[in-house]
Amino acid sequence: MHSEESILKRLFPFRWQDLLVCVAILFCAATVCMILQSVSTSEGFASPIFVLAVLLISRLTNGYLFGLAASVVGVIAVNYTFTYPYGAIDFTLSGYPLTFLTFLMVSVVTSAMTTQVKQQERLRAENEKEKMRANLLRSVSHDIRTPLTSIVGSTSAILENPSISRAEQEDLLRDVRDEAQWLIRVVENLLSVTRIGENGQAQIAKKDEAAEEILGDAARKFRKRFPNVNITVEAPRELLLVPMDAILIEQVLVNLLENAVRHGETTTCVSLSVRRQGRLAKFSVRDNGRGIPRDQLPRLFDGTLKSSETSSGDGKRDMGLGLVVCLTIVRAHNGFMEAQNMEGGGAEFFFCLPLSEEEEQ
Amino acid sequence: MNIREKILVVEDEKSISRFISAILDNNGYEAVQARTGTEALSMISSHCPYLVILDLGLPDMDGLEILKSLRAWSSLPVVVVSARDHEQDKVAALDLGADDYLTKPFGTGELLARVRAAIRHTRTTSDNDEIARKGTYTVGELTIDYNKHQVLVNGENAKLTLSEFRIVALLGKYAGKVLTYDFIIKELWGPRAGDDNQILRVNMANIRRKVEKNPAEPEYLFTEVGVGYRLAEGE
Repeated sequence: MHSEESILKRLFPFRWQDLLVCVAILFCAATVCMILQSVSTSEGFASPIFVLAVLLISRLTNGYLFGLAASVVGVIAVNYTFTYPYGAIDFTLSGYPLTFLTFLMVSVVTSAMTTQVKQQERLRAENEKEKMRANLLRSVSHDIRTPLTSIVGSTSAILENPSISRAEQEDLLRDVRDEAQWLIRVVENLLSVTRIGENGQAQIAKKDEAAEEILGDAARKFRKRFPNVNITVEAPRELLLVPMDAILIEQVLVNLLENAVRHGETTTCVSLSVRRQGRLAKFSVRDNGRGIPRDQLPRLFDGTLKSSETSSGDGKRDMGLGLVVCLTIVRAHNGFMEAQNMEGGGAEFFFCLPLSEEEEQ
Repeated sequence: MNIREKILVVEDEKSISRFISAILDNNGYEAVQARTGTEALSMISSHCPYLVILDLGLPDMDGLEILKSLRAWSSLPVVVVSARDHEQDKVAALDLGADDYLTKPFGTGELLARVRAAIRHTRTTSDNDEIARKGTYTVGELTIDYNKHQVLVNGENAKLTLSEFRIVALLGKYAGKVLTYDFIIKELWGPRAGDDNQILRVNMANIRRKVEKNPAEPEYLFTEVGVGYRLAEGE
């Protein structure tokens, strides 16, 4: 019983704005017909115009409800207003039953097909998202298992081996700390993704933020974590306000900076910059490391890189998760992200976010 | 042996409470532990601690409630501890009178720095001792002159506008402490100013351009994303 009801609701959802769209389009169709009627004596134009109206309504509203309703209303309206006898409903005149039946059929089929195509499109988009989520889960599970194994192993080694030397203990404990810090990053990345939630941009709260402040804070955090790597920050003289969820964008910058050190391997210097590029704000992270291996470049952002491919066998983790999270965040802001190797060596990751309407002139 | 300053650690997770206490005990403080809000409130009155480290997620009551009832009768310094995904709680706690916050996870260095700063602030009673004595506050090459309403960098007037000066003056009064956007806006433009941060952002950008060498790498006026601003503190 319950499921029947929900199916009904899904196929025929009712929303006031849809009703408004429906009424507005029907009204426009009627107006066009009336104008045409005043200049021509033919009656043939009314039905195609209403079929077009039904098509538009099915396209612009949700579910089957309004498309079908508009078909019926269209048939009655055309009969009442635009065909003889004007101002009365009469389906019985010779030829009328067939004409109006055809009209109704065409309308209904048009409406049903349009709605169906729309729903298929939505399904495809959902599949895409599902695939991204699956990739994410895969890389998370991997990212979590290895450090946990190491933590459990190291701590039991200390607890269960009383003869272990002080120096060995310290080494093991240091590993435990490093692994735990890695786990924290994984969790923070996951939190960022849940913040974005199910519907993409629907849940992020964008506010105009000063780009330089986000850069400054990200750099401050980076310095704390990697005191030995030199970082420079560059922002334009003119204040650049960018609509964003500041916490999430900072997370993107922190991820990119850490990747630059972790995967650049020989990185001693990173630079963080933001500048205006037309209607976009371009954030860029560059390093002087070994660059991105050419075979990985095209697949960087799809989350399919395995750790075995990105590491040189010394336990470096795969950068899949961090980058997938970055991309998810940037996309939720209607932005885009790219990576390239720089001519003089090293890699550059950059992303662009659209500026606010006022800046878009 | 010195009398050690007592610090109450309010945290329901045993392992976290234990490591915080271990760090404090080994750095010249004496840690006492409370597991619940009720226990915390009774221990505050019986132990009279010097400082409280308060986790916001407790089993029996909201950490913010504890803070509220504590602030009704005491100005005892409180450092709240919260997870990264609860910025709103952090901001609410600061607005309710918490002195500082720590974001989980934190390390030894960060914990001790926050504890030291919060204790230092209570010693210099009326907000900022230096201002009370000399009418100025100095950190690095930056000096805020409260009598002349000027901010000097390297001895030179940075020529701040009045509202820019008032922002820096306010941050200087609470140097080392994060002030939330909301707090600054209400202090400067009154309680009905709304919560539009943009005017504050623009003012801050202008101040940084007059005061900092590189506005994107501030040495004095720090941003804590999602929370507020903090003025550097001279040691």
